[in-house]
Amino acid sequence: MSPPLLPSWRALAALLVLVASAAHADSLRRFALVAGNDEGGDETRPLRFAQDDARKMHGLLTRLGGVAPGDAKLLLNESSKDFLAALTSLEARAKESQARGERTALLVYYSGHAKDGTLRLGNSRLGFEDLKQRLSNAPADIRIAILDSCRSGALTRTKGARRAPSFEIESGAARDARGLVILTSSSADEDSQESDALSGSYFSHHLASGLLGDADRSGDGRVTLFEAYSHAYARTVADTAASSGGAQHPTFSYDLAGNGDLVLTDLRAGGDGLVVPGLAPAGTYYFVDPAGLVVAELDKRSDVERRVALAPGTYRVKRRLSDRLRIGEVEVARGRPVVLEEARLRDAPFSDDPVKGAAPEGGAWWTVGLSGGVQSFLDAPTRDTLFLSVGMLGAEAQLHDYFRRDWVWGVDVAVGGKQAVLALPTLSGPAYRYSVTSLGTTLTSEWPQGRVTPFVGARMAYQVMRRDFADEAYPDQKFAMFSPGVVAGLRWQLLRSLHLTGRGRLHYLLYTVDEQRSLGFWELSALVTYQP
Amino acid sequence: MRHLAPACLLLALAACGGDFSNDDLEFLNALPQREDLSVTTPGERMGGGAGQRLVRQGKVGSPSTLMEKLGDASALVGNTDETGRDINESIGGILDSVESITRLTPTKREPNRRVWGPVLGKNDMEFDTRFVMTREGERFDYQTQYRRVGGGEDDWWSFLEGTFQADGGVRKGTGRLYIDWKRAREKQWLFSVDFLDGQEIRYQTQRLPTQVELEYFGPLPDIFPGRYMYREAEGDLAEMTFEMRGTDFVPGGLPENVALVTRWAPDGRGTALLEILSGDIVGAKYTECWDAQGRVTFISRSWDFLNPTEGVRASCPDMSALDR
Repeated sequence: MSPPLLPSWRALAALLVLVASAAHADSLRRFALVAGNDEGGDETRPLRFAQDDARKMHGLLTRLGGVAPGDAKLLLNESSKDFLAALTSLEARAKESQARGERTALLVYYSGHAKDGTLRLGNSRLGFEDLKQRLSNAPADIRIAILDSCRSGALTRTKGARRAPSFEIESGAARDARGLVILTSSSADEDSQESDALSGSYFSHHLASGLLGDADRSGDGRVTLFEAYSHAYARTVADTAASSGGAQHPTFSYDLAGNGDLVLTDLRAGGDGLVVPGLAPAGTYYFVDPAGLVVAELDKRSDVERRVALAPGTYRVKRRLSDRLRIGEVEVARGRPVVLEEARLRDAPFSDDPVKGAAPEGGAWWTVGLSGGVQSFLDAPTRDTLFLSVGMLGAEAQLHDYFRRDWVWGVDVAVGGKQAVLALPTLSGPAYRYSVTSLGTTLTSEWPQGRVTPFVGARMAYQVMRRDFADEAYPDQKFAMFSPGVVAGLRWQLLRSLHLTGRGRLHYLLYTVDEQRSLGFWELSALVTYQP
Repeated sequence: MRHLAPACLLLALAACGGDFSNDDLEFLNALPQREDLSVTTPGERMGGGAGQRLVRQGKVGSPSTLMEKLGDASALVGNTDETGRDINESIGGILDSVESITRLTPTKREPNRRVWGPVLGKNDMEFDTRFVMTREGERFDYQTQYRRVGGGEDDWWSFLEGTFQADGGVRKGTGRLYIDWKRAREKQWLFSVDFLDGQEIRYQTQRLPTQVELEYFGPLPDIFPGRYMYREAEGDLAEMTFEMRGTDFVPGGLPENVALVTRWAPDGRGTALLEILSGDIVGAKYTECWDAQGRVTFISRSWDFLNPTEGVRASCPDMSALDR
């Protein structure tokens, strides 16, 4: 069972002192350092979604969080040295703002590994205490650290934050509206868990979903730090309670003085978003992007209008009933809110759930597909008289996210051929059939960008070329060789289980019959894959 | 498991390579094929059985002008058929020896050079055999070479030598093959065939009429005819030129040696021009035409003043394409 989700009266009382003041918050000059690192160096297994979480948070803060794009830095898989350098840069700018009399806020978000009291940024480390000390001394009126990493609660433990169900807030003496707030995704002895179904960590997902509107309990169109945390806390604990890793308890600590809770996101900042009217049925709404991932959730109560600050785009909306789903599609336009009309939702069986199914253990999924393309050698005499340019048809199977997230291992077979007439200096005229058989294995790395996923990788192929002459006076000939190459392309998700890939390959082939010659050939092909 | 990786690597390497070679094809194209040099006999044009019928009728080997009558099966057709088969057999034997080794994958591929073999050859494995081809531009040279087993590079000697001047098309060009029987005897590779010193085949397939010549060289040139020539012209017209020795072609006390030029059309009709080279009436000429069944339709005898021709000359097919 989930633990109680409400903060203690003590915490609530402390925050009531800091009554949220939107106007006050809006006068802040905000700076943000957002870092995500899948790698944690030795003794750690690579994370799968840390970079994605950082990207989401960066986008959210610059779109809704009042952070100008120029005041935000996004670091992906960078070292602690880069992290500190970026922090120094932002501190300097915050100091300049302060010198101009501006109030400033510095938000640091980190998603990645942490172990033994240090953040692990690849093979580099940054001690919790060092970071805390650094933030404590940072020249900003308000410093906020959000750490989504294992055992990150160690950062707050020294300040007295304890494992929920009721989190505690420590407050210094109330003098000025300045101080340090630290949110962590787990307590000092817990792992932070990722979810294949969410394509992110539980904590960051719920924090982001809350910042998009689900956490706006007051309904004022603004999500404060406290609202966001309490929402992320409750949902993270609830979602991880039944997981194999056990319930994960975020922590919160602050050392703030003065008045005002901090508004983290303004749901009306861009003018766009989705409005769920008060008359809409109560229940939990899920907003699913074209890749089948839930980008936001909304716990809707009866007769209460809610707003979700979705970025412009197309979303599928799902509401789960006891015996069926209600699903529909909504287009969020830029610059104006869109009202979700219940009439546009339809009944659907559970099998039509638009949410991409949770991947099997290890997060792996596989596809099968058919391809069509062209193979041609770079050297003109070679492609005219030896290895001809031909169309190829093939079949492939791909295993995604098995060895590592966004890595794809594939095996493929393709055949091609054409009728041709030999044209050599002393021999022209014999007709023959030229054919190519290609067996290959490919390892690629993908960078999902919504529906479109660019990828690059390496391929090893076993090429067999033949020519069979109609005239028996000429022997049928064959050449076989392993051929290393590189591949790059784009994969589009057309439908939930259907992908279209366009790709190019460049291969090296050592020809050894008449003489040793280094040859190169390219392939352009389209691939349609089905994800069972 | 320790040897699995090396084993897989060896297996993969073994699966690489092949014989996909343009140069190989050009080298092979320089070698004559049986169909390029073979004679299509008039008997084959008639359906394959006429020549055999003539042999059975005793019409082959001793043509006699006294015996030839209009409507009879032509003995000259039978002689042409048999000579053609002899030529095919002789050339076929040579080409068989070349094909038997070039059917294998070349053991050496060098720029403008190919080597097949060496393989253990005949005579109780006493000789190695190899076939060497070289190329210079469009000219190809080749040799079938032998050496005693255990011999060095300098011990190879050529039994067959050939050249081919390519002209771009499928086996289009001019070529020559020479069989050195005398040298084979000297090298103790061969102990029989002492009546022949050499045998040469010359051919051109570049343009019509195509031509194949077979010539024998030996110590006894008068014993058997030494030169045969076969040509094919536009419209599948064919011609064979050869000699026959010791025939009793005309009455008298001497046997005749005659020179024959026979020509035949795709439907089997043909003509023959015979000239007596030695014997009773040297210089006399005999002309004969036959129909699609090989029956004589026209006869002309230059020495017969009373009855120089029989039959209708117009029944003779037009063979002028062979004169161009």
